[in-house]
Formats: sequence, C-alpha cells, structure tokens
Amino acid sequence: MSRPVFAAGVLVAAVLAVVALAAPVGAADYSIPEGANTRCFECHAQPDLGTIEVEGETKSLTVTPEDVHGSIHARLDCTACHAGFQPREHMPEETAGWYQQAELEGCKDCHADQFGMYNQSFHGNLVMKEGSTDAPSCADCHGSHDIVSPSAPGFRESVPEMCGRCHGERTETYEDTYHGKTFGMGETTRAVCTDCHGHHRILPESDPDSWVSDRNVAKTCGKCHEHASEKFASFLVHVDVSSPRSSLSVWAMEFNHNLLIIGLFVVGGLHCFLYFYRGLREGIYLSGRRKH
Amino acid sequence: MADVSIDTRQSPEAIAEFAIASAVPRRMQYRRFSAFQRWIHFFIMASFTVLVFTGMPLRYSDEGWAQWEMRQLGGAPTAGIIHRFAAIVMVTCVLCMVGFFTGILIRRRGRFWGPGTMVPNRSDWDDLVAMWRWFLGGPRPVLQFDRYSFYEKGEFWAASAGVSIMCVTGAMLWYPQLTTQFLPGIFLNFALVNHSGGALLAMGFVFVFWHVFHAHLRPEVFPMDKAMFESGLPLDHYAHERPLEYERRVREGTLDEVLVPEPSARRRRIENVLWWIITIVSLAVWAAFVIFIFWWLGHVVGLW
Repeated sequence: MSRPVFAAGVLVAAVLAVVALAAPVGAADYSIPEGANTRCFECHAQPDLGTIEVEGETKSLTVTPEDVHGSIHARLDCTACHAGFQPREHMPEETAGWYQQAELEGCKDCHADQFGMYNQSFHGNLVMKEGSTDAPSCADCHGSHDIVSPSAPGFRESVPEMCGRCHGERTETYEDTYHGKTFGMGETTRAVCTDCHGHHRILPESDPDSWVSDRNVAKTCGKCHEHASEKFASFLVHVDVSSPRSSLSVWAMEFNHNLLIIGLFVVGGLHCFLYFYRGLREGIYLSGRRKH
Repeated sequence: MADVSIDTRQSPEAIAEFAIASAVPRRMQYRRFSAFQRWIHFFIMASFTVLVFTGMPLRYSDEGWAQWEMRQLGGAPTAGIIHRFAAIVMVTCVLCMVGFFTGILIRRRGRFWGPGTMVPNRSDWDDLVAMWRWFLGGPRPVLQFDRYSFYEKGEFWAASAGVSIMCVTGAMLWYPQLTTQFLPGIFLNFALVNHSGGALLAMGFVFVFWHVFHAHLRPEVFPMDKAMFESGLPLDHYAHERPLEYERRVREGTLDEVLVPEPSARRRRIENVLWWIITIVSLAVWAAFVIFIFWWLGHVVGLW
C-alpha cells in the first residue's frame, strides 16, 4: 500500500470516527441507544414477542427504540421505571406486582412535587387509598414509553379526549360550549378541562379547595375573564340541552325552540311549495307574470 | 286628480283600469320604497347574510362543512370579529327604523293603524284564507292587497320579534360580565339557546321558507321582484298587485308621491345587469340553504 493511499485511508477513518461520535447527538438517530438499554432492546426490539395482560389490558412486549425515541424520557435507562428488572428472561417474582408499584411510586423519585399534588387529588385518593384500578394514575394521562412534556405540541390538544375516556358525558357537554367549539376548530389556547379543573390536584366541586368549588370558581373564570363575578361563574357550563335532567329550564327553552322551528318550517314550507306548485300548474311562471 | 271619486264596490281590475285611463300620465313608473327604506333593506340584507355565514359554523362546529367554512373565514376569532361588525350594522339599521316609525307616529299623531300600515286587519285574513283555498284546489283568488300584503305583514312582525331577540341575546353574550352584574348566570344559558335557535329559525324563515321565496320565487315575480329598485315597477303591475293602495292613492290624490319617470335606456341597462347579478347570487344562496335544510332534516332525524 502506497503512502498517499494510507494517508487517505486514515483521513477517511478519522472523519468516520468523528461522524460516528457526533451522530448520537443528532435528532434523527434510530439506532439502538448506547448504554444499559442496549441489552433490553436485544430482546424487546424483536417483533412478535407476544403480549401480557396488565389490569385487563393487553399490551405488547415488543418495545423498539423508535417507540421511545420521541419520548422526553428517551435518555433514561429502562430500569429507571422498570426497577429491579434483570437483563435476562424476567422471572415472575421480578414482574409480579411491579406495575401496581411502578404506576404509583415509579414517577415519585424524580417528580415528587407533582406526585404530592396527585396524592391529594380525587384521582390519587381513589388509587392510593381505595385501591382502584380504574382511576387514572400518572401513565394514564401522560403515557409511558411515548411520554412527552405537557408543553409539547399535541399534549394540550389531547386533553378533552383524554379526560373523556372516563368522563365522556362531560367532554360532550364541553364540546357544546364556546370553549369546546372553538377549541375543536383549532383554537387550542381556549380553555380545556385542566384549565378550570386543575391537573395533578383535581378535586370534586363539593371540596372547598377545588378550583370549581363555590368558593373558588369565580377566581378560576377570572383567569381569563376579567371581572368575572360569582354570578358570571354560575353560568351552566356542562349543560346538556337535550336532557331535562341536566337543567329543566334550559331544556324547556331548547325544546320550545325546536317545536317553533319545526312548526314554522313545516307551515312555511307547505305555503311556499303549494304556491310554487299551483303557479306551475296554472302556467303563471310562464305566461301570467305581470297579470293576475 | 285630487277629486276623482271611485265606487269601491267595483273589482280591483275595474278600479285600476279606470285609474290608469283617467289619472296617470304616461311613461311613469311606480316606486314602492323610499331611498331610506331601500338602503335600510340593503344594509339589513348584507349584515344578515354575513351574520348567518359567520354564526352557523359555530352552531354546527362538529361538522366537516362547518370546520371548512370556519377555515375559509380565517378561524373562529376572526369570524367572531366579522360577526360583531355585522351586528353593529344591523343594530344601527334597527335603531334607524325605530326612529323612522317614531317619526311616522308623531306625524300621524299617534295613529299607527289603518290602511297602508303594517297592522294586520280583517282583509289580510280573508286574503290568507282565499290563498289557501287556491292552494288546496279552489279557484285562483283576486287578492285585495293594500300597501302591504298579509305575507309581508306577517314577515315584518316575525322579523321584528326575531331581530329584537337576536340583538338582546347577542349583546348579552358579547358582554357576559356586564350581563351577570344584573342577572344570574343561567340567563347566559338562556341567551345561548335563544341566539342559536333563533338564528336557525331566522335563517330558514328568510332564506328558504318565506322571504326569498316571496321576493324571488313566487310565480308572479320569478326570478325577482324589482320593488327594491330605484326606478320601480310598471304602473299596471302595481295596480294589479296592490289594487287597494292604488285605489286609495287615486282617491286621496297621493299617487304622485310614488310615481317616478321611467328610467333612461342606459339606466335601464345598468339596472338589468345589476338585477341579473343579484338574482343569480340570491338563487345560488337560496339553493345552498335548501341543501342545508335537507342536511339539517337528516341531522335532526339522525340519518347522519
């Protein structure tokens, strides 16, 4: 091998080395990350790994680097959340009860403040004290492998759908309000569930500390609506106009309106149609335009 | 012309022919509405159309067509600004009309009923019954219309009530904090229901089931009634369609007030072009709203 060729080879190798070192910093790297997670992906990146049942939900065991790539936790070790898992086929004693523990305690190590608020919330109380598996814990709202920052694009947009998974009726009535209508038409700065009800420390209306309690609701409206009074806040936000149980007077008014609309359209429609029909039959459209 | 006496027991045709033969100079046209009334009509028509097109997509915000329309308008906040601007135009028109009627009341020393006014009377009922007899297979009636026919009176009062409700509820929703200084919050719910339902009612009433039909599609005037034009209508058309007013004006000697010279050929050509443009646009808008009504019917009965 001649010296120039050797020199060129060294140069190319150096450039490649620099590129290889710089590459993990780049955003579009889909290779298996360096570090401890490599061992996990050796098995879990395989397709058709099978499924497991977690709290009645069927989950795939396959987790690829692409799945976690967009996540804000992409740089964490898998074991940061999957605490105690060993890099080999997992034993039942390792995994049994892990989910219940992780979904409650797994986030606490880093997000103690948020966890503290959640702990005091209605949801937190159901999960922590009453052992509910239906009420949401951290991952039910934030996701797990694909977890994103709440300020990331798309998270705020998903809030009504997210709450609607359990509070479907409330989301439906929200979508009938000006907030919900404009939000659905792309005005995502308009109020969503969490803007009025709070997020980690959501409390029922009956709790005086709740954002929507009688004591606080005017203040909550006042975040956007200057000079909002208690009377202003007594506007019925979640009202279903098609149900007399929701609000009898509002329903009655809507019902009256519908009767009036249908009645007037039927009478007016008949009047116009018959006028049109007789005019056509008697040839007035063609000949008698200027005469009676 | 002032002292023409007429036997009112004659048929309107006879009255009209007598009047045309005896009293009216040739080449005159009948102008039904004053400049004030025509401009008010124009601004109400324009603002109403804008209000409907900027408001309806919000009522049906779930629907694909509504979201498309909102995007064309530049988003909900922009549509809201346009809606409020049109509302100011309409409220101004309403206030002008209130002033106009106050003026009439003062001039007539508080008397606002009688022939030629908007107040319904017995003859309107007779016209309505005769018309429905015809609709259901009876003979074609000779309608005894004065200045305003029964369908115009009905529309005037329905629209007045509707506009009042829309203005009041719209203002309540525009200034919710102010409203709730005086009223409980549930009145904002009432305002919403009335504003939204009233809008659909007004839209169907004006665009499909009443006004546009009578102004554009009824057999006597299809494709468009020229009453809102400056140069007016041929005199024989007036005498045939409003025999009572014609007879009354001949009797009272006030026919001159509504007569204008026939327009020049040039002016007539311009008016004809304008007339066709307005006709085509209104029929297109009308067709769009007929399609909307069919969609709405399907929506109400749950077809889609």
